[in-house]
Amino acid sequence: MAARAIEAAGISTLTLSVLPAYTRAVGAPRVAGLNYPFSRPLGNPGDADGQRAILRAALRSLEAIDRPGGAVQLPFVWPESPAQARGKLKELPPIGKLLQQKPWLLLKFIRGETGD
Amino acid sequence: MSHSADEAVGRSETVVLTAPPSPDEIDRNLFMDFLTRKVMKGWMEHEPRPPEIPWTPLRKPLAECRLALVSSAGVALIGDPPFDQEGERRNPWWGDPSYRLIPRGTRTEDVRLYHLHIDTSFGERDLNCVLPLDRAEELAASGELGSVAPTHYSFMGYLLRPEEFLRTSVAAMIERMRAESVDLALLAPV
Repeated sequence: MAARAIEAAGISTLTLSVLPAYTRAVGAPRVAGLNYPFSRPLGNPGDADGQRAILRAALRSLEAIDRPGGAVQLPFVWPESPAQARGKLKELPPIGKLLQQKPWLLLKFIRGETGD
Repeated sequence: MSHSADEAVGRSETVVLTAPPSPDEIDRNLFMDFLTRKVMKGWMEHEPRPPEIPWTPLRKPLAECRLALVSSAGVALIGDPPFDQEGERRNPWWGDPSYRLIPRGTRTEDVRLYHLHIDTSFGERDLNCVLPLDRAEELAASGELGSVAPTHYSFMGYLLRPEEFLRTSVAAMIERMRAESVDLALLAPV
């Protein structure tokens, strides 16, 4: 993944992740985890204070991460319920439509295989 | 956002996790539907554990570092080619492996987001939700951060097979980051 390659090339990286377990599993060098919805990892449009706080907290966590794969969980709490927070897709992604039409392919998809 | 969150992270008792994550930790993200959770857990379980995690220690304090931002939200300047969504519609297992340059100072109105798996309206209302350029400038102005790089980057994160992306796009990003003396890259996947 991109963070690993950038780090291997001599540039330190930090990944701010709303799915830190997955990001850590794929071997990102430094992870700042955040329990926020997808599509807006820095928070809501127009919430400059919130966005700044997250960016600041993520960058400050660098001090604490002193070994490869180290991860910190940032303390921010999303104020809405998950149902309220769910973003809206304009339509189902192409893979979603395909898996609806051919549900037997879901197992392949879950296993990380591709269909072509 | 409350100040206490800022202080909490500044304190030395920040807990650093180093043990290998378990797929059950996926459940801690409350915002996924059942199917997405199942897929993510499946991907975690089938991910071969990377033998070694690359490591470049930060050579300077943050206040002297140059920062570049990277977003997987499919951000592109309005004048640049969009990410290829027709290609993905034709082959749902494929995702556009290209990348775009987002210059320092780019505003929300200068870009569009091209991504079929996320709600792009947030980033299109305020680019800082996915690529916090303005926020980074503020931290540099206050002295907490050394400087903001001249160039930032975006790609489209739906890449089931990332080999071409790594070989072409990421290699090009790295070259440019090196040329611009970037010390630190912050990636904020969507």
